[in-house]
Amino acid sequence: MTEVIIVSDGQLVRNIEVQSGDRKDMVLLVYPGVSCDVKLDVRLVGEGAEANIYGAYVCGGEEKVKIAVDMHHDLPHCNSRQLFKGIAGGTSKVDFYGKIIVAQDAQRTEAYQENHNLLLTDGAKVDTKPQLEIYADDVKCSHGATIGRLNEEEQFYMRSRGITLEDARVLQMISFIAPVLENIPEEEREAVALKFEEAVRNI
Amino acid sequence: MANDILLKIEGLRASVEDKEILKGVDLTIRKGEIHAVMGPNGAGKSTLSAVLAGKPQFTVTAGSIEFLGQDLLAMSPEERAWAGIFLSFQYPVEIPGVTITNFMKTAVNSHRTGKGLEPLKAGDFLKLMREKMAFVQMKPEFAKREVNVGFSGGEKKRNEIFQMAMLDPTLAILDETDSGLDVDALRIVANGVNALHTPEKAAIVITHYQRLLDYIVPDVVHVLKDGKIVKTAGRELVAEIEEKGYDNL
Repeated sequence: MTEVIIVSDGQLVRNIEVQSGDRKDMVLLVYPGVSCDVKLDVRLVGEGAEANIYGAYVCGGEEKVKIAVDMHHDLPHCNSRQLFKGIAGGTSKVDFYGKIIVAQDAQRTEAYQENHNLLLTDGAKVDTKPQLEIYADDVKCSHGATIGRLNEEEQFYMRSRGITLEDARVLQMISFIAPVLENIPEEEREAVALKFEEAVRNI
Repeated sequence: MANDILLKIEGLRASVEDKEILKGVDLTIRKGEIHAVMGPNGAGKSTLSAVLAGKPQFTVTAGSIEFLGQDLLAMSPEERAWAGIFLSFQYPVEIPGVTITNFMKTAVNSHRTGKGLEPLKAGDFLKLMREKMAFVQMKPEFAKREVNVGFSGGEKKRNEIFQMAMLDPTLAILDETDSGLDVDALRIVANGVNALHTPEKAAIVITHYQRLLDYIVPDVVHVLKDGKIVKTAGRELVAEIEEKGYDNL
């Protein structure tokens, strides 16, 4: 069962342990206007445990969004995936810190982490620090982080087909966030997608 | 007759990053005509098409463009599209995450909103899509694909002509549509363009080679060289260029 958390103002601290053979799926959503300090500590404590943590954030004003994830692989054969995507406009500030720690015993670990950001204004600021600490030798791990701008070639292509600049930007931002929203259970997904569409339209 | 004029370009100069590419272009296109603009690499052919479609990276420094009596240079790219201009890109842009269906639905409904019409009903839109995809022999499953992502060269160009069929422009500008096409795809694309042509419309076919012009036969042929049109004649000019090359004109 995927846990969908709509993050509100302030601090959110979660310590999660995933037992052998269990799986934890979580989607964090940060809507415009929310300033938050999220600390997740995920520990895979049984062989074959799995954790998938996703997050999306949209900030268009003066928000401060801070997200820190520690993903501990203590035992063999555990899998984890993290995907965080966000949009920063206005004078908002995003801080992402993500660490994967693979203990010496945690052979055959598969752990992936990605954080991708769109920067809409010169006033917005994104800091992203992906970290890997690996003490085992038989593992598959990767991390990646990007900070980019809306692609102007895409915008011109869409506008040349009659799509307004405003709609083109909305399409670009929705498609950017979509890979995170896909992990929300189907019955909740459409409502969330609509809320994000409204959020990016007014950004 | 003056009221036959669709497009009138006068003294057009344009630059990109302070480098002048178009150095005084004059071109008049009447309804029903197909014009070929030929020329060597770097002559300014693609710049001309980008300026007509309103690409923001290009700066027009002098001259005017009138399209159906309207000042084209005062219009945004989307307003130009609503007015009836369509550019088939030499390098169609990939838009990850946006499906062809969603892309075209947004485009078609933007055109309708721009003209003060209601959005198309979902059923009518899908019917139109299916019909136009079949027209360029695109498989129906392409509707769910992300725009141009992972498409072959031929698929990208067919997608351009599909979009053209959906939007039904008055002036189609085909920028190097033949590049990267095998002969079958070339034929499909050319047949599409020919089928969409009517006496009320016009097309500008921009190309380096004769090949495409064997299929889309132009009424007027221009040679663009170093930012200027240096020669204009009938379709016989195509064969002359093929024989002599651009250097000896």
